[in-house]
Amino acid sequence: MAYTECVSELANAHRSFASAAEEHLDDVYRYLLYVTANPATAEDLTSETFERALSRWSRFDPRRGSAQTWLCQLARSTALDHFRAEDRRRRREQRVAEPDRGADLELPDEYGPVLRQALRTLTGAEREVIALRVVLELDTEHAARVLGISPSACTTRLNRALAKLEKKVRPRLVA
Amino acid sequence: MSPDLAIALREQTPAAPSELRERVAHITAAAPSPRRTPPPRRMLLWAGPVALATSCLAALAVGLSSALDSNPSSTRDAGAAAPLRRLEQQTDMSLGAPTLAPMRASRAGVPAPSTQRAQEVQANVRVLVDDPDELSTATQRALRTTRRLGGYLVAVDYGMPEATEGSATMRVRVPVSRVQAAVVSFSNLGRILAQQTQISDLQQRLDELTRQIRRTKGDKARIAALRRERTQINRRAAYATVDLALTTHEPEKKVVPPSRLDRAVDDATGVLTAELAIGAYILIVASPFLVLLAAALAASRAYRRYADQRLLERA
Repeated sequence: MAYTECVSELANAHRSFASAAEEHLDDVYRYLLYVTANPATAEDLTSETFERALSRWSRFDPRRGSAQTWLCQLARSTALDHFRAEDRRRRREQRVAEPDRGADLELPDEYGPVLRQALRTLTGAEREVIALRVVLELDTEHAARVLGISPSACTTRLNRALAKLEKKVRPRLVA
Repeated sequence: MSPDLAIALREQTPAAPSELRERVAHITAAAPSPRRTPPPRRMLLWAGPVALATSCLAALAVGLSSALDSNPSSTRDAGAAAPLRRLEQQTDMSLGAPTLAPMRASRAGVPAPSTQRAQEVQANVRVLVDDPDELSTATQRALRTTRRLGGYLVAVDYGMPEATEGSATMRVRVPVSRVQAAVVSFSNLGRILAQQTQISDLQQRLDELTRQIRRTKGDKARIAALRRERTQINRRAAYATVDLALTTHEPEKKVVPPSRLDRAVDDATGVLTAELAIGAYILIVASPFLVLLAAALAASRAYRRYADQRLLERA
């Protein structure tokens, strides 16, 4: 390990939680926005993610990964908890009918109409991998770590998601 | 993936709104909570060495405590050995007494009693013979030797508890002037296992009695008593007592008690061995359950991952 890398690791280790939160707030929000496809939910989950991060900041080990990866893992866990709670709530309400998946998807207007419509057709898992690999520009290894899958599975999932997205976007862009 | 799509995805994805920034800033204003307990993985990593160290410490503690507890027994041993030491001291004193005549070393290493002074001589000889037939022959030879030297038999105990084993003990008295020859002769009956000779000087007491008799005038009873004592001493000095033990089997070797360090090491090793045995037993008994537990954990993890994936697929 190079001397500069050691110094960098030590510097990362001493980075304060506030600066890490400030630096990666947009990353966490964008990731959650892709996963939930709902700005309000993404905001709530982002806030909850940083609350969790605050209480668990002492467990963060910069040698095992960057703060961005760690925060994305926490965000994913928070989102999954949210989805589980929603799932339970829906089952309690005995919604036997297949829920309208598009009903809760309220992507913000910043997305163009074409991209927004195309993203609505993707599943949360597909949007998630696009968010990590394309939007946040995490490398395959770190994205796979956030997703809890192998790097090859991550690459496969990304290729499928992008192919699906391009299939929806390209005809409209051409038109 | 086309570059345009990637650029569109990055540029069109909105940043966090200012309201959210304020909320997060409010959260981050609080100090992060310090770690109270180490993470479970680190605890598991430390569990092994800690358990090993605890086992070693326990073994060491048991070893040390048992070694310390053994002190009273060693004191008892020392107490039991004290008479023997006293006896040896007595022997040494009698041998090294300034009034004792110079000793002449014999072929068998038996000190010869003085011919100038009255001495009480006592000898012990323990001899190993080959078999019961040899035991019988040796006993008869010992009796013949005693008679030939002018001595007599005081007591004999001849026994053969088993067909192949037997022993004979006898006490004989031989003239002091011939005790050396007796011991040498007895030693030639077989292989010498032990031999001891004690010589105590009686001359001083005899001289003292003679002086008292000369000084005592008129008191006939007193004189008679002193003379009786002098006669008894002369009898004791005339004949030596020889205890001869003949046996067909070697005595059990004296077990040397281990030192305190040896005891501590032995006990600690014993405790460690017991701990290892218990650990191995637990491992053998628990291994199927551990395998099942590991499989259950792996299955649970896989199912959780699958459920998460399904959840995200539906989202």
